[in-house]
Amino acid sequence: MIDMTEKSFEKASTPGISESESAVIRFGQKIAWSALAPPLVFIAMLLGVSILNSNYLGPLGISIATATAAPIMFLALGQSMVLNIGSIDLSNAAIALLGALMLALALPPLGVGAFVLILLLVTIIGAINGAIIGYAQVPSFALTLGTLAILQTAALVVSGADTIYVSENRELVSVLFEKQILNAPLTFWIGILTAVILWVVLRYTILGQNMTAMGKNELGATLSAVPTRRVRIITYALSGFMGGLAGLSIVAQAGSASASGLGSDLLLPGIAAALIGGTSISGGQTNPLNVVFGGLTVGFVPIAIQAMGLGAQAQSLVYGIFIILVVALTTVRSRDSIIK
Amino acid sequence: MEAPTVLKLKDISRTFGHVSAVRSISLEIRRGEVIGLVGENGAGKSTLLKILSGVEQPDSGTMEINGVPVSFRSPNDAVRAGVGVVHQEQSLFTNLTVAENLDQRNAGRIGYKNWARVNNECVAALKKIGVSLDPTTRVSDLSFVDRQMVEIARAVSIDPNMTGTPLIILDEPTAVLEQTETAVLEREIRKLKEIASVIFVSHRLDEIMRICDRVVVLRSGKIVSDKKTSEVTKEDLFRDMAGGVSQTAHAIRKRLPEGAKPAIEVHELARKGKFKNISFTARPGEIIALVGSNASGREAVARAIFGAETYDAGTIGVKGKRVLRWSIRKAVQAGLAYLPAERKVEGMIAGFSATRNIALVYQGDGASGPFLKLRKLAEAAQGWFDRLEVRPNTISRPLINFSGGNQQKIVLAKWLNSPYTDVLLLDHPLRGLDVGAAQTVNAEIVKACENGAAVILIPDTIEEALEMADEIIVMRDGGVSARHDMRKTNNLTVQDIVADMV
Amino acid sequence: MQFVLPKEWKGPAALIASIVVLAIVFTFLNPRFGSLENFRNILFQVAVPLIIIVGTTLVIQLGSIDLSVQGIMGAAGMAWILLSANTRLETDYGIWAWVIGIGIGLTLGLLAGALHSLIKVPSFVVTLGTWYIGLGIGIILYGDAMLPSLKSDVLMAWPTKLTLGLPNAFWLAAVILGAGVLLSRYTHFGRGVLAIGNSETIASNTGMPVHTIKIIAFTLAGGLSALAGILATMQLGAGSPDLGSGQLFTVIPAAVIGGTALSGGEGGIMRSAVGVFLLIMLNNGLVLAGVNPAYQSGVFGAILIAAIVAVARPDRGILKIEK
Repeated sequence: MIDMTEKSFEKASTPGISESESAVIRFGQKIAWSALAPPLVFIAMLLGVSILNSNYLGPLGISIATATAAPIMFLALGQSMVLNIGSIDLSNAAIALLGALMLALALPPLGVGAFVLILLLVTIIGAINGAIIGYAQVPSFALTLGTLAILQTAALVVSGADTIYVSENRELVSVLFEKQILNAPLTFWIGILTAVILWVVLRYTILGQNMTAMGKNELGATLSAVPTRRVRIITYALSGFMGGLAGLSIVAQAGSASASGLGSDLLLPGIAAALIGGTSISGGQTNPLNVVFGGLTVGFVPIAIQAMGLGAQAQSLVYGIFIILVVALTTVRSRDSIIK
Repeated sequence: MEAPTVLKLKDISRTFGHVSAVRSISLEIRRGEVIGLVGENGAGKSTLLKILSGVEQPDSGTMEINGVPVSFRSPNDAVRAGVGVVHQEQSLFTNLTVAENLDQRNAGRIGYKNWARVNNECVAALKKIGVSLDPTTRVSDLSFVDRQMVEIARAVSIDPNMTGTPLIILDEPTAVLEQTETAVLEREIRKLKEIASVIFVSHRLDEIMRICDRVVVLRSGKIVSDKKTSEVTKEDLFRDMAGGVSQTAHAIRKRLPEGAKPAIEVHELARKGKFKNISFTARPGEIIALVGSNASGREAVARAIFGAETYDAGTIGVKGKRVLRWSIRKAVQAGLAYLPAERKVEGMIAGFSATRNIALVYQGDGASGPFLKLRKLAEAAQGWFDRLEVRPNTISRPLINFSGGNQQKIVLAKWLNSPYTDVLLLDHPLRGLDVGAAQTVNAEIVKACENGAAVILIPDTIEEALEMADEIIVMRDGGVSARHDMRKTNNLTVQDIVADMV
Repeated sequence: MQFVLPKEWKGPAALIASIVVLAIVFTFLNPRFGSLENFRNILFQVAVPLIIIVGTTLVIQLGSIDLSVQGIMGAAGMAWILLSANTRLETDYGIWAWVIGIGIGLTLGLLAGALHSLIKVPSFVVTLGTWYIGLGIGIILYGDAMLPSLKSDVLMAWPTKLTLGLPNAFWLAAVILGAGVLLSRYTHFGRGVLAIGNSETIASNTGMPVHTIKIIAFTLAGGLSALAGILATMQLGAGSPDLGSGQLFTVIPAAVIGGTALSGGEGGIMRSAVGVFLLIMLNNGLVLAGVNPAYQSGVFGAILIAAIVAVARPDRGILKIEK
C-alpha cells in the first residue's frame, strides 16, 4: 500500500543519464517548501484567527488548544516515527487509551511507580507489534488493525466499561496539566521536549539514520546490513511509549479514564497531525519539530473554526480539506513513480 | 523475386552521457527472415532493442517498418507499427488468464468483456504459433516456457488487421529454460518465419546457428559482421564478438605472498533451481571472476555468500571458519561487502545524501556510542569525494541526483570506508559507467587487493575478467563449466571462455 | 461455456468450511443460533457491510485503500433522511433523496479517485481526507436540532420486511453483490482493476486506461458506501452522522480474511463477501453464546492477525519487503 520505492526506479535505470539541471532545481525547491509548510500552515492559521477575532488567541484559547494538542502530538510523534520507517501503526491510540485506563487503576496503589510500570507495559505492547511484523512479514496496516481491535477489547475488560477515577495520588498526575507555562500545560511542554529528543535521534544517531534509510529504501538498507528487524521493533516500541505518554496526558487532563471518554478517538487526529506535519506516508521523510506544528494545527482547528464563526460542526470538514490540501501541496513526486 | 523489407535501419545512433551505446547502425531485415543478434554484454544489443521497441529514442538515424518511416515515442507506438517484443523479464499479468494477457486489442476498453470471443481469439493466436494451452489458465500456474509461449503469441498477434509483416524481437528467450524446453521453443521460432520476421537475441551460439538465417554481431555499439548462417562458423562468431584481440593485457598489480589463509572458501554450494556444486577459494589479494550468462546462477552464488539468499547444501567458510546461520549482518561483521548489480534499487539509498550513504555501514570516528558526529562524517565523505573525484563535489546532495558512475563510486566508498572490509563481492561493478568512472572503480578494486582484500567479481564483459582476475570460473546453467588459473595460463582468449559459457 | 467458469474457488473452500464448523459449534452452544429467525437476523446484519465491501474490494485489488467508508455513510445517510419524510423537516423529495444521497458518495469517491490518480496523492491520505469531509457534512447536516427520524412506516419497515422468506435489506445487498461480481468478471474494467494491482507499469505500457479505471473504482466505492449509509439509516429509522461507526473495521478485515491482499491484484468480491459472512456470523454467534458484545472486536482482531500470519508464512524470505 505504501510502497513506491521499488517500482518507481524501473524506468530510471537507464545508464549514465544525469538529471537535467532544471529538474534538480525544481526538486530542491520542493524539498524546501515541504520543510517549511507545516509551520507556515500553522502561522497562517494563527494570523487568520487573530485578524478575524483576536480574542480567541487569549490565554484561555492557548490553554485549551495546547491541552487538546498534547495527546495528539504524542501520538503524531510516535506515528511519524513509524511512518518514517515505511510502516504504519493503527494501534497507537488504542495503546494510549489502555495506558490511560491502567494508569488510572495503578496510581492509587503504586503512586509514582505506576508511571514506570505503565510506560514499560505500553512499550512492550509496541515492541510486540514490531516483532510480529518483522518476523511474520505481514503488512503493518493489517496487523496493527488487528492489535487495535484486541486492545480496544482489552480496554473494555480493564475498565469494565466504566469510567475509572483516580481516587488517590491524583495530584501526581494532574500537576502535569494544572501546572502551566506560558498558558500551556506541562504535558504540552513534555511533548515539545520529546519532539526535540526524537529530532536528535533521527539526525544525530546511528539508529535514526538506520530508521530513515529503511523508510527510503528497505531493500537497499537490508543489503547495507541495517538490522531492519531490530530497527522496526525499536520504532514500534517507541510508538507504544509515545502512546503511553498520550495516555498520561489524558489522565492528567481528565483526572479519570474511560474506554469511551476523553481520548477514545485519537487515531485519526494523530495520523492527520503527522501528515500535516510533513511526514510522508510512503516513508523516509519526517521532521519531529514539524510534527509539533502538525499537532498544534490540529489542536487549533476548533478555535480557528469558532473564530471564523463556523461553529464546531465544521471541524471534521476542515480537517479533511486540510489533510488533502497540505499533502497534495507538499508531496515530492516524480512523473513515473507509482503511488498507492 | 526478393521478399519485401520489413525493417530498415539507417545510421541509428544513441549516446548516454559520454558513452556511445549504439553507433551508426544500418540494418535491413526481409520478410520471413530470422536474424540472430549476438554480442557480449555491453556491446549495445539492449540499447538497440530498446530503440526498436520504442523505449528509447535514437539521437540520429532513420527507421522504416514495412516501408513506412516511423519514429516511436513510446512502446505503444512500436506495438501499433507491428513490433512485438518478448522481454527477458516477462511482462505478463501473472494474476490474469492466458487469454486476457493475449487480448491486447481490448486494452483500451472498460466495458463488457466477451469472454467467449477473447478466449476464442486466444486459441487462434496460440494456434498460429502452434501451441495449445488452455486460455483460461492463470498465468502464474504456467511453467516458464509456457509463459514464454504466451509472450511470443502476444508479440505475434499484435494486430490482426495489420497489413504489413510483424517484426518479432525475442530477447534471450531461452536464457532460463531447460534443454527440453529450449527445443520446444526453437521449433516454435522456426514456425514463426511463415508469418513474421524475427530478431533473435541469445548468448548461446549453438542455438543461433540452428535457428537463424543470418547472424549480426555487435561490438562496442557497431555492427562488425552480418553474414548468412551457412557462411559462418561458431569460431568466426567468437572472433567477431571478441574483436579479434586474442588476449588482453593483464592488469599489473603488486602480488601478496602466496599461501595466505583463504578469505572465502566455498565448498559444494548448492541451491535448488539456481546453482549446484560450486566450489572455490579466494585468498587475500586474489580476484576471482565468476563468468557466465545472465542465467548461469553466478549472481545467486554471490548473494548466498553475502547471506542475502539461502542455500540448501554445501558450506561457506570465512577466514578458515565455517559459517552457520549465515546472515547479511554476520557477513558484514565478518568483513564482507556486496555491490549489487541493481544499484539504484539495491545498492544505495537514493534519497539520502552522499554523506549518509557512505556512513551507512561504518562510521569509524564519526560515531561515539550511538551518536553520530556529522562533521566527522562529512570529513570522511569529503575525503572519498576527493580520492574518487566524485562530481559534482557536493557531499550533501541526494545520491539520486548524481550520475551512475558517481553513484557507483559512492556505493564503493560506503564499503571501503570500513577498515574491516576484506572480502568484496562485486556484481557488475562497471554497469552503466563511463570510461573515467570505470577506471576509478577498477583502480580502487586493485588497491583494495593490494591491501589484502579478496575479490569475487561478476564482470560485465569477459575482457574485464581477463584484465582483472587471478582465476576465472566459468558457470553455465548453475554449475561450473570451466576454471582457468590466470597465473598459469597466458594464452587464454575471449573465444575460449565464450565456448565454455554456451 | 467451458471458458466461463472461474478457477478461483479453491481459496474460499477453507473459509466456507470454517463457516460451517462455526455454525455447528454455535448451534451447539445455543440452539437458538440455528433458528430461522436468527438466520434472517444474520442476513439483516450482513446487508450493510456486503454493499460496502463490493467497492472496498475493487479498491484494494488496485493496491490502494479506501478509508472513507464511514464518513460517506454518515453524509449520505443524513442527506437522505433530511430529504425524505422525517420528523425534523417538512420536506419529502422522494426519489431525489436517493439521487442526492448517493450523489454525495459518488462525488466524494470521484474526488478521491481523481486526486489519487491524477495528482498522485496516496490513496490512504486522500480517503482519510474524504472520510473527514463526509463526516463533516454529516455533522453539519445533523446540526443542533433534534434527531431526525423517519416518518414513513413503509420505509422503516422495508429493510426487515420479508420477500421470499428473506429480509429486503439482504436482497438489496445480494443484487449489489451480484452486479459487483458481474462487473468484476465480465467487464474490461473489472479485469483491468486486477491487472493494475498486479503491475501498474505493465498496465500503462500496454495502453490500459489506468487513470480512468482507478477513478471509476473509487467513484463506485463512494457510491456504494452512500447506498450502505442510506440502508443503515433505514434500518436504524433515524439519522446520525456516525451510524457507519465500525464498518471500516469490519470490511477491511473481511476483505483480507477473504484473500484480498492489501498489496493488490488478488482476491475477489465473492471471497470478500464470504469474509463478511464469517465475521458477522461470529459476532452474532458470540452474542448468543453469552459473550459480551463489547469483546467481539478483540475476537475479530485475533482472527485477522491469525489469517494474515498464516497467509504470509509460505513466502517469507531474507529480502522480502512487507510494509
